[in-house]
Parts: sequence; C-alpha cells; structure tokens
Amino acid sequence: MDSTSPDSDPGLGAAGAAEVTRAVQAAPPGGPATYFDGLSNRRQNVTIGFANQLVMRSPDNFVSWPYADIRRVDGPNGTLRVSCLSASPLARLEIRDASLAEELIARCGQIDQNRLTRGGIARIIGWSLAAIASIVTIALVVIPFAADRLTPLVPPAMERHLGEAAVMQIKSIFGDKLCSEAAGQAAFAKLVTGMRRAAALDDSIGSQVLDTEIPNAFALPGGQFFLFRGLLDKANDPDEVAGVLAHELGHLKHRDNLRQLIHNGGSSFLIGLLFGDVTGAGAVIFASRAMINASYSREAEEGADSFAIDVMHKLGRPTRPMGELLFRITGKEAGKQPALWASHPLTEDRLARMRAEDRPPSGPPLLSAEEWKALKGICK
Amino acid sequence: MNQMSYVPGQPPPLPPLTATFSGSRRDFFRLVSRGAAIELITLGFYRFWLATDIRRHLWVNTAVDGDPAEYTGRGKELLIGFLFAMAILTPIYLAYFLIGVEAERFKAFAGVPLVIAFYAFGQFAIYRARRYRLTRTVWRGIRFWMDGSGWAYAGRAMLWTLLTVLTLGLAWPWRAAALERYKMRHSHYGDLSGDFEGRGWEFFKRAWYLWVLAPLTLLLFPLFPFVYARLKAIEWRWWLSGIRFGGVRLDSKLPGSAFYGLYWKLIGWMMLFITAFGIYLFGVFILVERLVGKGADGLPQIEAVPNHAAFLAGLGLGYIVVVLSANVVMRLYLVRDVWATVLESVQVHGIEAMANVAAKGDLASALGEGFADGLDVAGF
Repeated sequence: MDSTSPDSDPGLGAAGAAEVTRAVQAAPPGGPATYFDGLSNRRQNVTIGFANQLVMRSPDNFVSWPYADIRRVDGPNGTLRVSCLSASPLARLEIRDASLAEELIARCGQIDQNRLTRGGIARIIGWSLAAIASIVTIALVVIPFAADRLTPLVPPAMERHLGEAAVMQIKSIFGDKLCSEAAGQAAFAKLVTGMRRAAALDDSIGSQVLDTEIPNAFALPGGQFFLFRGLLDKANDPDEVAGVLAHELGHLKHRDNLRQLIHNGGSSFLIGLLFGDVTGAGAVIFASRAMINASYSREAEEGADSFAIDVMHKLGRPTRPMGELLFRITGKEAGKQPALWASHPLTEDRLARMRAEDRPPSGPPLLSAEEWKALKGICK
Repeated sequence: MNQMSYVPGQPPPLPPLTATFSGSRRDFFRLVSRGAAIELITLGFYRFWLATDIRRHLWVNTAVDGDPAEYTGRGKELLIGFLFAMAILTPIYLAYFLIGVEAERFKAFAGVPLVIAFYAFGQFAIYRARRYRLTRTVWRGIRFWMDGSGWAYAGRAMLWTLLTVLTLGLAWPWRAAALERYKMRHSHYGDLSGDFEGRGWEFFKRAWYLWVLAPLTLLLFPLFPFVYARLKAIEWRWWLSGIRFGGVRLDSKLPGSAFYGLYWKLIGWMMLFITAFGIYLFGVFILVERLVGKGADGLPQIEAVPNHAAFLAGLGLGYIVVVLSANVVMRLYLVRDVWATVLESVQVHGIEAMANVAAKGDLASALGEGFADGLDVAGF
C-alpha cells in the first residue's frame, strides 16, 4: 500500500480505502489540526484520526502518514509540529491541542530521532576535543618538522625575493640611513669577511650598518644582515661585535628566517582555524600564537648561539665578550617579562653559556685599534 | 468527531497584520549561556550548532498571520560548509602571501591593496550566506529561496563602497538601497518573487543629521550610542518598509528611539564586567604577591608578580569568564532583543496575495556560511 497520498484523492485501491475506513471507525476520537502539504502554502484545517496510520481529513482532502515515519520538527511553545519522511519534505502538521499531541506522540516510536540529544552534544564535544588534540599536535610537532624539511627545498632565489621585500620594509621603518664612512666601511668589511670565511658562507652575504640608536642586529632571508649603530656604540671591543655578527651568520647559515616564516605561517593558520570567529577569541589567538612562535624562536636563537660559539672558537677568539655586550644592553631579564612569550633565551642564561664556553684568545685580533676606532665612527 | 471547519478558497481582503514574536527571554538566555559553556569546552567548534540553535529559536517564535516560521538548517551543514571554505581559502591565503611578497619587492607595503581582494570575497560570502539562511526558512510548508550571483553582488558592493568612501559616507543610503534591491529581487517565496522599494533618498532624508553629528561623537563620546542606535533604528524601519513579496507589502513603525535603552543596558553590563574583572585582577595580584613573598633585599617583588605563572593563570581564567559573559549578554541584547523589538513594529499588508503560493526553489549549500565564518563576516 502506498504509505502516503500527499494531496487530493486518496490514491488507494477500493479495498485499501475500505480498510482505512474500518480502521478509522475503530480508532479513538481525533481532533482538529492544521496541515500544510508542502506543495502550496494553503492552510488546511483538517481533522486527524488515529487509525493504523495517522489520517488527516478535510472536505477536499484525505492524507495518511505512517506512524513510524513521523518526526517532530521545531514548533513554538504549545504546538506540536511534525513532518513525515515519506511525504513531501516540507509538509507539516500542527497540533495545538495538548492531549491530542500526546496521543500522537505515544503512537510514534521514532518521533524524536532527529533531535540533537545529550548524546549528540557529547559526540560533538568528543569530536571537537579530538580535533583540538590533532591541531595542537600538528602545531607542536608536525609544523616544526615540516618547516625544517621544507626549508632546504625552497630555492635560494625565492628566499632572496623575500629578503628584498623585507629590506624595503626595514628601510621605510628605520629610514634609509646607511652608514658608509670609508675607513669604517673598510673595517666593517674586513670583520665581516673574516667571520664569513670562518663560518663557511660564500660571498653572497650582504651586510650593512644602519644609523639608528636602537642597539640591535638582525638577519633577513636571502643572506642579508643589518647591524644598528646603537650596538656599536655600546660595544667596548671588536670581539663583542664579532660575537653578535657570528650569531647573525648562524641565522643565515640555518636559514632561520625562512624556517620561522613557514613555521609561524602554518601555526597561525591552524590556531585561527581552531578558534574561528568567536567574539573575544582574538586575545586567546594572539597569546597562544605568540607562545608557540616564541618557543620556536628560542630554539633558533640557541642554535645561532651555538654556531657563534663554534665560529669564535675557530677564530681563536673569546666568546664571553658577546654575552657581556648583550647583558650590558638588556640587563637582568628574569621576572621582567613572561618567559613563555620571550623570543630569546634570557640574557643572563646566554651570558652564563658564553662564559662557560670561553677560551683564552689563541688567534690574532680581528681588528687593529685604528680599525676598531674607524668602525665605531662608521656613521659619522 | 468529524466537525470539519471549512475555509473558503479566496478570503476577503484583510486589515494589516502584525508579526509577533513569542519566544521567552528565559529560554533564549538558557540556550545561549549553555551554548557559550559548550563553546568554551570545544574551543569554539560548537559555534556551528549554537548559531543553528539561535536561529531555530528566533525563527520558530516568529509568526505572521498566526503561523510560525521554521528554520531547517543544521549545525552539521555549517561545519561541512566551513571545511569546504577552508579547503578553498587555504590556497588563496598562500597565493595572497606569495603575491604580497612579490609586490613588496618593488615597493614597501604594496601588498596592502590586496586586502581589497579579501573585501570582495567577504561580500561574496555575505550574499551566499544569506542565500543559505533564506533557503532554510520555511513558512506554511513553503521555503524561501534565492538566485542571482554572489560575484555580481560582490562587484556591485565594491563599486558602491568605493563611492561611499569617496563621498565620506554620504552615499551610504544609496549603497544600501542598491544592494538591498539586488538581494530582494533575487529572493523568492515559493513562486512569489521579492522586490525592494526603499529609496536611497528616503533613507538619506531621515538620517542625514546623524552624518553631521558623527564627527561630534569623537569629542562627546556618550553621544555615540545614541547616534548609532538611532541610525540602526532608521535603517531597520526603512529596510522593512521597502520589502515586497508579490502583492504583499511590509511596513514598519519602528520609532527612532527604539534601541536607546537596549544599547545603554548593554554598555552598562559591559562596564560592570570590566569593573568586576578589574577588582578580580587586583585580588589575584594581592594573593600572588603574598605567594611570591619578599625578595632577598627585603622589599616586595612587585615586578615579578605579573610574570608569575599563578597570576597568568588567574588572568586567563578571568578573561575567559568575562568573554563568555559578554558573549551571552551581547547575544541576548543585540540578537534576541533587537529581533523582538523590530518584529513587533512590522505590519504586513495584503497577506491575501500569499494565500496560495506554490512551492519552488532548491536548497543552497552552506559554503557561503563557511566563507563568512572563515573571513569573519558572519551575521546571525
């Protein structure tokens, strides 16, 4: 037998119709309800009855729904609204009479099957936790691994493009004030060349001194690094500056910029994915991203320090002056900033390491007294 | 039994009907507070189901001519839409990054104009997300639906936004009218087509003085909520009064002062949260200071407190509680109360033109919602 007859005449054979009629007569009394057939928006006031199927009658229509196919859908308070799987998807029956609604619910075994139950929510929570665990694992394990493996695959030409873009930005932030006093430049070139040879880097390395007060130095992707005048001003002898240069060369050698770019891009994207557009999540995203990136950065800094120590050993120069220069610039750092978000290891820890690795000078001085004086005056 | 009420096929013209909202505030509060808690546990993944539940609550309690609407969308659809959108957005983000690097080589910060491309994508997402929501809206067993092209809409939105920027916001009403016209002319209810008759000029006439007042709010910031609330009220009224579906005409008598109380209550709550957060932080600070104790020099170590793990944990916990409460209050006022206020002002003329609408139109995918989520332009 056809389970439903959505509209007009019951599409049943004569025998079927007779059967339904008998059933209706035997069934308990029904009552009024509103029916929408899902094909037109005409509101049909029907009388429902409980036979072996739910039947709805009006003067011009007769419809029956099997109880097993009836599902509850959203209805306002005090109204039971149901649909039927085997009828038109948007066909709706609305019952306002509470006892009639209960009567129907009692007959429909699977009426609440589509509802999101407690178990359903628990499942959403469970899957979410699994997704979070997987994203965290990817951020902490897979992305650092991928960054290390992908970096050697990026062609140097592309890395240089990145570097050129970064140089443009740096010049627009710090001004285009390159220091080029001739004697100073010669001393700087001598120092850098000496360091570069010891570090086994080719001459594609570019280096410049920028005239700003900030005591800093940094390397850019594609083999460029900048030294700020502020750092030269704070330095007392060539070994201090040489240590910092060796550290920056370590970044270039390890291609740390590119590695961090891949790592930070990937982890930022993942964390953004995790939190989506929940209002107020911005601060959480920012904090967790900064934490992950900072921990990666600390590792890279430690790697560059190890490299600097090796280079200084090779040149037969002491490592301790570099640590002292850094300490002179930052002072004691513990307790001053949340250690979890620091991009560098604590300066006192770095100083302690440089002291432990220190060896008495065995090689020639890197610059003569005059050259050192000229280097200090490179920005004049 | 068998008392059948007979409805004539063509009812006589009816007086204007009001739309009603019957949702209880307590139910909505329970829904969003529970949702916020689950959102926290799932780090935001529950947002798809929460958004769905909010819409279901609003839709089902909204009745026109005595018949409540229904929202048939599901959280899982939004999740799938989001995943699809991510699969599409990820390579775009990557391409965006690479193009940005190439552009920066030639000129610093040349990558900024690429943000415009994302704006266009956002407009596309807005259109497609509306289409998803509309096709999940059912009234009297017939769904609403939408055709038109998301990209055509995005193109229009871009040009109008450019004009609005060039005219310092004066073109805003005409922008709103043009975009609404596009959206409504491609919206349908069954075989009934929508239209929008609001004119930019009418909007402008009602709201121009707010444009004059806007710069003043920078000096006199308590004025800002008034100006914004009034603009919103004018916009809603103008928008609703322009909506047409075949012969059915909507009208709104929303007073310009309708949202004042609402916005100030929201501001009051936010102030309360901030104050409570401040007091709480102070308490945590004192506690952690006791915990840290005095330094070697016998002085309190004020500096070390903000970096202490216990303080950071307390800060994080307090922040989460404040954000969750703020989310609940915002949804209560800005979503539920605005919805109820606006609905109560709506009058429907000529509902008899909607007496016998035939079903038409297909469901749209939730891809647009996914983009909207990924690009942070989601609406309710």
